[in-house]
Amino acid sequence: MFENTLFFLSATLTIVGAAGVVFSKNLMHACVLLLGSLFGIAGLYATIGADFLAASQLVIYAGGVVILMLFAVMLTGGSADSSNKFGIEKIPGMGSTKTYVIAGFSVLVISFTILKLMANFMKSYKAGELPAFSSTVEEIGTLLVTDHVLAFEISSILLLGALVGAAVIARPRKG
Amino acid sequence: MSPSLNEYLNQFEGHQKVIATVTEVLGFDATGLMTFIVFFTGAFVVVNVMALVGGLGTYAERKISADIQLRQGPNRVGPYGLLQFLADGVKMIMKEDIFPAQADKTLFNLAPLLALIGVFATLAVVPFSSGLTLANLNVGVFYLIGVSSLVGVAVFLGGYSANSKWSMLGGMRGASQIISYEVPVTISILTIVLISGGMSFGSFVGGQGGFPHEWYIFHNPFTFIGFFVFFVGMLAETNRAPFDLPEAESELVSGYHTEYTGMRFGLFALAEYIEVFVLCGVAAAAFLGGYRVPFNLGDGVVFVEKLGLPPIIGKNIGQVLQLGAFLTKTLFLYYVVIWVRWTFPRIRVDQVMTICWKYLTPLALFNLVGVTIWVFAFDGHSIWDVLGHMLSSGSGGGHH
Amino acid sequence: MISLSSYLFISFTLFIAGIAVMIARKNIIAMMLGIELILNSAALNFAAYSRFVNNNLEGHLMSLFIIVIAAAEAAVGLAIVIRFFQIKETIHIDDAAQLQS
Repeated sequence: MFENTLFFLSATLTIVGAAGVVFSKNLMHACVLLLGSLFGIAGLYATIGADFLAASQLVIYAGGVVILMLFAVMLTGGSADSSNKFGIEKIPGMGSTKTYVIAGFSVLVISFTILKLMANFMKSYKAGELPAFSSTVEEIGTLLVTDHVLAFEISSILLLGALVGAAVIARPRKG
Repeated sequence: MSPSLNEYLNQFEGHQKVIATVTEVLGFDATGLMTFIVFFTGAFVVVNVMALVGGLGTYAERKISADIQLRQGPNRVGPYGLLQFLADGVKMIMKEDIFPAQADKTLFNLAPLLALIGVFATLAVVPFSSGLTLANLNVGVFYLIGVSSLVGVAVFLGGYSANSKWSMLGGMRGASQIISYEVPVTISILTIVLISGGMSFGSFVGGQGGFPHEWYIFHNPFTFIGFFVFFVGMLAETNRAPFDLPEAESELVSGYHTEYTGMRFGLFALAEYIEVFVLCGVAAAAFLGGYRVPFNLGDGVVFVEKLGLPPIIGKNIGQVLQLGAFLTKTLFLYYVVIWVRWTFPRIRVDQVMTICWKYLTPLALFNLVGVTIWVFAFDGHSIWDVLGHMLSSGSGGGHH
Repeated sequence: MISLSSYLFISFTLFIAGIAVMIARKNIIAMMLGIELILNSAALNFAAYSRFVNNNLEGHLMSLFIIVIAAAEAAVGLAIVIRFFQIKETIHIDDAAQLQS
């Protein structure tokens, strides 16, 4: 019963947050709503027993990505005149009627395609006898350094590259 | 060792009887309901007591600073001025609630609440005693780091939404400082995870003993350094002096809460004091033995066997002793935090980043590698075990 | 009652929301919010399948790698956005059209 409650709360938070990101007119609000949506996903991870995944979601998104987004919004937000030499707004609005119409049609097409693909999966698997939750931390650690050690090392190199790359790209150059 | 509040209560017959009675009366299995009620009550009590601790923190801060500066401090309201924080709270509630005209109202309202939510959510895993831990998560410390970073978002949003230059600068400084210092703090905790072999606070505290030489801070030289790295990082993460750049009075009026009045300002202050307490508790649990009491008095077996007390009383005496041990260590660290604030001058804003990225982070990484090698080479034994072994084998049974 | 389909539905909603954001917005940072939503929907799918179908932890590992990639993508992407803003003083996606010629 409590798992169901947690599931419904997290699902509501996730979907409301995602809808808010779509329809919000304010970029800052959209970032905060995205944070809510990501917290909802962490709750969903908790309901399927992925405790380590839920905690990583909290650490990486709440602590890192969302603050980074907020910083980027703020660093690109303020300037005196609001249109550039092409007559386009420098700080673009969050979308116009035209873009929303196009996006609505695309979403319809894509959602029909995906639903068609997913229909098979949705029918064939039922929630049967599921095993009880157990701690996933040790097993994930073991898997990371045995079966998936190559992917682990590659992702660490990717992170190092991203770190150095971001520092090099964002640094203002003289002259 | 009972990992959490419910499992601690479940070992007593009285609690089982209550569950059975409720099941009979209601006509369905009440175990889940009782679990919820116990958890809810525990959470309610803990949150309220911690709010009180946060309020008393302001009193302690003023009294200790007065002591350091040879002043009297608050002494009018209540005995020794103890009720001063209530008077302050009433004053804050009565004040006018001002919105800046150009402020982003939603975010302006949301920011203090986010700070408070982030701090209160961390209380779920703080190990007050072996019975009084609300939830002993497998990923306890990881969860704590993740949830407490909500405070960073709150500081940033509070600074941004007020639409004031002081707030903006303070919020930027606060957010960048918090996410920067998360790196050395997390790596220092990672060394403890390596030694104890688990991420839950139960395994942290379970691996230590009651005496100082069994604590993780004296486990090996690297954890000794790691404790200080953690402590400095903790000061910066909670925006305490000498790292209180986000609210530097001399340059930024009051930083990210310049535009906040009344109880909203109070919520920020409350969140800060509770976060200091929680992080001191984490330091105590991870490095200083947490709730462990010497001679295993904490599990209460001694009282039952030697004094002939009934098990429920013996166990509860043990719990009280554990709570006392935890609170002693935590409040000592809390005192040190306040002491540091009123002793050191504030450092410059570039020095904050220099200390983090050029000194603390390399030091923390060095500690991580060192602890890894230590655990691998000595099979997880502490330096005292290794020294004792060397002495006994080297000098032929020499006693130590 | 809560089955695989519930999680698939949520992940589907997230994916659709992400696609809508990426198409409807002209602000680069807002589009990156959409990318985060899409990556999260994929990660949620992996975790849900590994719980309800084969009961091992491979799906969790995939989700972890997706989170890692999302973090790297956010860091580099936002660095590019900030650099772009320093050069062109705009973050409109239609201004980033030099390579189209």
